[in-house]
Amino acid sequence: MPRFFKDNSLSIAFGLIFLASLAGQAISGHGSVNHDAALHNGDPISFWHYVTSAVFWTDVMENWQSEYLQFTLYICATVWLLQKGSNESKQLDRAGGESDEEQLLGDHAKPNSPRWAKAGGWRTSLFSNSLLLVMGSIWVLSWLAQSITGRINYNETQLDHHASPVSWLTYVTTSDFWNRTLQNWQSEFLAVGSMAILSVYLRQRGSPESKPVGAPHSATGTEG
Amino acid sequence: MRSVRVMFWIYLALIFAGLAYAIALGLLEH
Repeated sequence: MPRFFKDNSLSIAFGLIFLASLAGQAISGHGSVNHDAALHNGDPISFWHYVTSAVFWTDVMENWQSEYLQFTLYICATVWLLQKGSNESKQLDRAGGESDEEQLLGDHAKPNSPRWAKAGGWRTSLFSNSLLLVMGSIWVLSWLAQSITGRINYNETQLDHHASPVSWLTYVTTSDFWNRTLQNWQSEFLAVGSMAILSVYLRQRGSPESKPVGAPHSATGTEG
Repeated sequence: MRSVRVMFWIYLALIFAGLAYAIALGLLEH
């Protein structure tokens, strides 16, 4: 296997199934929209029109935001919240940001530590929270995108039924916006909670998401 | 590590391009 694929098989594989799923969503969504148009004696729209429409992008963004919220919350919550026996948790005496020694910062940095881990001051503070900041920014931006594209669809429906269009501030208080948002959040939170507790007693040999098969159920924060 | 860095930037570019497109679409159709 070429070196590039060997070094990156996880991110390549997930990138490819992401693109394939997005293409599948576009094809099936286009079919669904045109089926609906036919039922209401409307005109069909082209595939290109559909994939550049607010209808398609609202669906994409509402799923993105919930996934990034899930990871943002998980990154943040697992600093402080722990689960005895879970591979997803740190050991019970390590709640919080931990010491500079444990985090290999400043004088405790290794020769091959990232430059900003050694730099101190604002650069180390920023780098120390960079994963949370970037994942959190993607969540906020995708939720914003969901709200502004969702409002366009909402207003089109309003106008079709001779009702008044609404402002963005009004749209984000509608049941449409919160139903789209919360139906995604509930599944993410259940999946995360399940992962934290099921990994206490269940195993997958070879996966770093699991404890080693022979690890005791009480072992917390060990890698497979 | 060079190929890993390439994947890192591909992911970030893809994500932020999608976000920028969706936000621009929403604002322009406003």
